[in-house]
Amino acid sequence: MATIEIEDKVLEVDGEGFLTDPHIWDEEIARLIAKYDGIEEMNDEHWAVVNIIRRNWEEKGMAPMVRVICRETGLRLKQIYQLFPLGPARGACRVAGLPKPDGCV
Amino acid sequence: MEKIDKGIQAIAIIKDSKLFTHLNACVHCGLCAESCLYYRAYKEAKYIPARKVDMVASVYRRYHTFLGKRFPWLTNARKLNEECIDELIDMLYGSCTMCGRCNAHCSIGVDIEYVVRAGRMMLAYMGYVPGSLQSTVDAALNTGNNMAIPTDEFVDTLEWLEEDLQMEVEDDEANIPLDKKNCNILYTLNPREPKFFPLSISAMAKVFYAAGESYTISSQMYDVTNYGYFSSHEEEATVIGQKLHDEMLSLNAGTCVLAECGHGSRAFRWETPNYLEKQFPFKVLTSVELIAQYIRLGKIKTDPSLITERVTLHDPCNLARSGGVINEQRYILENTVSDFVEMMPNGADNFCCGGGGGQMAMGEYNDRRIRIGSIKAEQIKNTGASIVVTPCHNCVDQLMQINATYKLNVQIKTLAEIIADALVFDVKHEEVINKETN
Repeated sequence: MATIEIEDKVLEVDGEGFLTDPHIWDEEIARLIAKYDGIEEMNDEHWAVVNIIRRNWEEKGMAPMVRVICRETGLRLKQIYQLFPLGPARGACRVAGLPKPDGCV
Repeated sequence: MEKIDKGIQAIAIIKDSKLFTHLNACVHCGLCAESCLYYRAYKEAKYIPARKVDMVASVYRRYHTFLGKRFPWLTNARKLNEECIDELIDMLYGSCTMCGRCNAHCSIGVDIEYVVRAGRMMLAYMGYVPGSLQSTVDAALNTGNNMAIPTDEFVDTLEWLEEDLQMEVEDDEANIPLDKKNCNILYTLNPREPKFFPLSISAMAKVFYAAGESYTISSQMYDVTNYGYFSSHEEEATVIGQKLHDEMLSLNAGTCVLAECGHGSRAFRWETPNYLEKQFPFKVLTSVELIAQYIRLGKIKTDPSLITERVTLHDPCNLARSGGVINEQRYILENTVSDFVEMMPNGADNFCCGGGGGQMAMGEYNDRRIRIGSIKAEQIKNTGASIVVTPCHNCVDQLMQINATYKLNVQIKTLAEIIADALVFDVKHEEVINKETN
């Protein structure tokens, strides 16, 4: 089992750094994973994206389309890529505690 | 026991003598070692491609040759036990990007990648495909696309992109046609585009608009990928290939244009006719070749002075080395950017990004993927480029990770994305259409 350590807290993750158990996720964990990716401070826009992703996953069992993230947050596509430089999947979905989406991401 | 029999049978039913020939041809010259990213990054003998061939050959000998069956200890024939299976999984799925660079460097022309695929097939029929890779295949089999995107969400996204296109080109008539019959072209997508990275769809839609092309995208079967090719479960790969083939027929399109996707292009254009044992009754082109044609025929116009940053190109293995699509992307870039530099080596001898062979889907081997990616990172650094273009969405994703890990500070773009930035509309859209019909 792989782990990542951030600020003395150890998180169990899969080989790609996604949480092994998405249910242990909370805002503190989100902040830590973001920090691990070089996002020093989660601002309101980061939280808006993460919350939409989390809600969609809890309701539908999958990450939302980036179109839905844009619609619900009012952000433009390019802003989302700037907020999460690793992209919506490896960046935002990981911070939101989701398992890694399938496919070329 | 039954499970193992399935694996043993899988490599016995291959229809020609190719496997048998290539399993017995290696002369152990060792030239393949330095051709392989894994060996270059780790310098451990177990990663040498010839070793991987040997592993598959030793299992084959044990079950399919007289000497191997009777005297396994004399012929180094290995029994397919738990230890052997674990090793095969680790070497064939976990330590090969199926980039085929070893094939190109083999002194006698062994198709090493093909042997790896045969070995993967054996494991696949025994049910040993790594979990994350199999779930990507299952999504494609069960939902028609490898990210299990529901149709209504797909259509919603495409409509949103259509509005965006209309604003971008300032034309309310500009559209992204869905499920239209009898078009020249059926265009395919990698599901990661609608799901997370739709800028490349917008870019291609803009290119189609500029060219006045008659095209459509299917809302039912748009997925260009075939992860069954990577898992090497041939029956599953066949089902996925068949779906796109059938959609071409039902929409009665003239040419199937494959989105920027290395393995998808290979799996459909060059492997699916073998899977289906028939020639396609329609044409297949990669979007790279199509765009090069558009420029050559003057159907679209680009202005290289619009992009002045230094640009380099990463050739996807399946497209360049295996598919021979090498000059087209260079021709496009020469007409699109003003400072294009090659990375070394390039073209048919290019290094894999490290994410091929299904590695992007297999979290199990993430550390290795990032480590072998250091070779590509070095290549990119040496060019001094600030933009890396690659006609493959899978490569894009690996390059994005390398970019972050090795702090390259570059932008990663698909070909369509860079062309869309250099498009000029000096000829009115209607005039292009008129020229077409006259």
